[in-house]
Parts: sequence; structure tokens; C-alpha cells
Amino acid sequence: MDLFAQVLVNGILLGGLYAVMALGLALVWGVLNIVNLAHGAFIMLGAYVSWYLYTGAHIDPFLGLPISAFVLFVLGYALQRGLLNLVVRAPMFNTLLITFGLEVVLTYLAQIAFSADFRTINPPYAGNSWQLGPVTVPVVRFAAFVVAIVLTIGMWIFLLRTRLGRAIRATAQNLVAARLYGVEPRHLYAMTFGLGLALAGAAGGLYGTVSQINPYIGGTLTAKSFAISIIGGLDNPLGVIVGGLFLGVVESLTKLYIGPTYGDVASFGILLLVLIVRPSGLLGRTA
Amino acid sequence: MNVAAERTPLLRVEGLSAGYGEMLALREASLEIYPAEIVALVGSNGAGKTTLLRALSRVVRSTGRIVFNGHDLDVLTPDEVFGLGLVQVPEGRQLFDRMTVQDNLLMGAYRRDDKAAVLRDLDRMYAMFPRLKERTRQLAGSLSGGEQQMCAMARALMAAPVLMMVDEMSLGLAPVVVEQLMGVLDAIRDEGVTVLLVEQDVQLALSTADRGYVLETGRIVHSGPASELIDDPAVRQAYLGL
Repeated sequence: MDLFAQVLVNGILLGGLYAVMALGLALVWGVLNIVNLAHGAFIMLGAYVSWYLYTGAHIDPFLGLPISAFVLFVLGYALQRGLLNLVVRAPMFNTLLITFGLEVVLTYLAQIAFSADFRTINPPYAGNSWQLGPVTVPVVRFAAFVVAIVLTIGMWIFLLRTRLGRAIRATAQNLVAARLYGVEPRHLYAMTFGLGLALAGAAGGLYGTVSQINPYIGGTLTAKSFAISIIGGLDNPLGVIVGGLFLGVVESLTKLYIGPTYGDVASFGILLLVLIVRPSGLLGRTA
Repeated sequence: MNVAAERTPLLRVEGLSAGYGEMLALREASLEIYPAEIVALVGSNGAGKTTLLRALSRVVRSTGRIVFNGHDLDVLTPDEVFGLGLVQVPEGRQLFDRMTVQDNLLMGAYRRDDKAAVLRDLDRMYAMFPRLKERTRQLAGSLSGGEQQMCAMARALMAAPVLMMVDEMSLGLAPVVVEQLMGVLDAIRDEGVTVLLVEQDVQLALSTADRGYVLETGRIVHSGPASELIDDPAVRQAYLGL
């Protein structure tokens, strides 16, 4: 029972990070209709930004998050303006091709620039943990969880309450009408992609504090973000939180009770089930 | 509207032709709209009404001259035209269905930076459309057809239009709702907003408007004060079935 509680807590803490990873993908997918296959590679870049900030400039990984988010935002805005605006609302296959190409290029550039060595961000408090009854809560994982949830809810409020957030939702729903009322789609798309990558940058920084970084982590992270977006639905950032927590818990429990190699089997099995039973996601509107 | 003739027109269209590919949907159309007028542009399906609106909004390319409030529109982008206060209520409403009524209205004011004035206008809209006020938090897609049309018009008014172009407002709505919406057009005209009413329902449009233009296969075939057009034997025979 104690072990179960511990694994459950681990799963929840992991799930928060999953949520913020998936949020950027879901935002870009929902608004631009681009399934960004390079999303995980951008998370990887965000992790390296945090790692260099920590090892090079001794900036605490949590304080460095806004910087890595900003760096990725700028990269995202420029990429969308210069490249991806060519394929917005193009057939899905084109967007898959171009983002897959980006993923390959980014991964190999990262390998050249950062080498294939495994890296970790180890702030002095990395080993600290709290004991809550039978359950151990590592401080870093807990902090990453809290930041992830705050970011996700913050994004939700941003989309609901601000002028830019409203315009992003409006453009996703009805491009024609949005243009009629003065939305400039090229700029808006670039802002959206920039925000998606900013979330990836922050997620990468958080990932670096709880896991190892190497240039090849992108593919798996993209796949997980994809699964979570589908499970949670694209409409609502809160759905992504639910999807992330769900996936984190299921993966952790599967690893405990069935075997460590079966974690991904469980997550993608659930993805298939959701696609069959409830294609609009757990919290998404019904089609 | 004899007075109108002596003023400078708000919108002057001269020899406007536009179309899609080789096909001209609009040929050499000319019209004038004066400040605080309601002008009806009527004609049957396929007469070129929507093409004219699209040319005014610079969504389709055209030849000829369009002068709005002293600006040549020919060289402007849709964005810039909108910025001059030429605002459309599109056919079929085109609301943001999964956003609340309030968010839809605020999207109308997307390009306005005067936050206080926007909030004042929001209150003004709710006073003008009490039905919307009861439904501020409801999703626009869940409104009835009449309420959706009110929402679309309120959204356009939130953009602080100088000239509001309303495309097929009455389509699919109950007569009592249409009458109410016509009352709204009168009210906003009294506030100084000029209205271009594009309608298939000729009787309805001409009974509300000050002046009218009749489009037929891309050409303007009749024009004049609405009260005269409605009595014109040719118009009556062609459109009113009388």
C-alpha cells in the first residue's frame, strides 16, 4: 500500500510536467492545425538552454525558466513567420513533413552543438525531499509540478481573458470572421507558435531538473505530448492537465505492477482506446 | 433625401468591375452613399451583391474607383479598410460559435485600444439588445437564429463602424425578429452610423432604406429613393411579384 501511494504521488508529479509539455503542442495544433512533430525537439532545446544557464551562468533552473521560455518564443515567432506560415491550413501531410524535417535538423544540430553526452541540471537542493507519512516527495519534482500547473492554468486564463487570447481562440474557430474584425493572421499565427514554443522551453527547463537531457529525447516527448493532447482534447488547457496527470499515473502504475518496459505500451494503448471510444478527448466537446 | 445630394458622399463607387477569374460578377457599377443614410442594395441570387461587398472590403480585386471618406480603397488591404471604419456583418453571421456572447462582442473591438470606450460600447450594446444581455456567458453557437443575428450586428457595432455593411440580414429569420432588427438599424443610423443593407428580400429592404440600388446580373439597373423604387412598375414586376 505504501508503495502504491508512493508510485501514485510520483505519477501525479510526473503528470504535471507532462501537462505543460503537451500544452504547447495542443495550442499549436488547435489554432494552426499543425501537429508539430518537432515539439519534443524544442523541449530538448529548452532543456539545453536551462542547462547552459545553470552550468555557465549559475542561474537557478527555476529562475532560468522565463529565459528559456523567451528564447524559444523568439525562435518560434521567427520560424512561423519565415517558414511555417507557408503551410498553415495546408493539407495535414505538408505540415507533418515540414515539422518532421525540423525535428531531424534540430536533433542533429543539437548533437553537433551539445554532443551526445547525457546531462543533468543538479542544483544544490536536488537531493532534498519531504517525508509525508510513508510517501517521499522530492523537492525538485514537487516544484516542477507546481510550476507546470501554474503555467497551464495561467495559459488558460490568458486564452480566456486577454485580447490576444480571445483573438487566438477566435482565429482557431472562424478564420474568415476573425479577419473581418481586423485580426492579422500571419502575426497571430506567429504569436501562437511562439507561445507554444515558450511552453516547450519552460517544459524543457523543468524536464532538465527531473530527468537526463540528451539530443535524442525529442521523439518520445513529442509522442507523449501527442497522446496527452488527444486524451485531454484540444479545446481546453484544463483537459491537458487531466490528460497529463492521467498519463503520468497510469505509466507509473504500469511500470510498478506490469514491468518497467510497459510504460509506453500503457500510454499509447490508452491513446488508441480514447481515439476509438471518445475521439474528441476526455473533456473535449463531443463531435 | 434631396439634402443628401448637396453633401459629399461617404462612399463613392465609380465603374466598379470585379469577378472571379475570367467571369465578371460585377460590371461597371457606380453608387454613392451619404453620411447617416440607410442604402439598400437589392437583387436576386447571383446578381453580384456579395461580390460588390467583397470588392469594397478588398477581399476580391476589382477595377474602377472606390473612395471612402476621402481615401482611395483600391490600394488598401482588407485590414486597412477595416481600420477606416468599413465594417461588415457577414452573410450567415459567422459568429465565433464556441465563444461566449461577450467574447464575440469583444472580438468586434479587437483593434480598438480605448479600453474605457470599448466597455462603454459593450453596455450600449446590451442596452440595445436586451436579449444578449441575458445571455452574455452563453456560447454564441447555442443562440437562436435571431439572437445570433443580433450578436453579429452588435459585434460589428463594437468595431465603431463608420459604414456598416449588413449582408442578408433577414435570411432564415422570423418576420417579427426581422422587424426588430430593422428597428435597430434605424436606431444606429440615428446615432450617425451609415448602413449599406444588402438584401434578397426587396420589399423588406426598400421599406426600411432611404435609397436603393437594384443589381441585376452584375449591373445596377435601377436606383433612386426607396419609396420611388418600391412603386416603380419594373421593380414591382421583377421582384415583388406584383
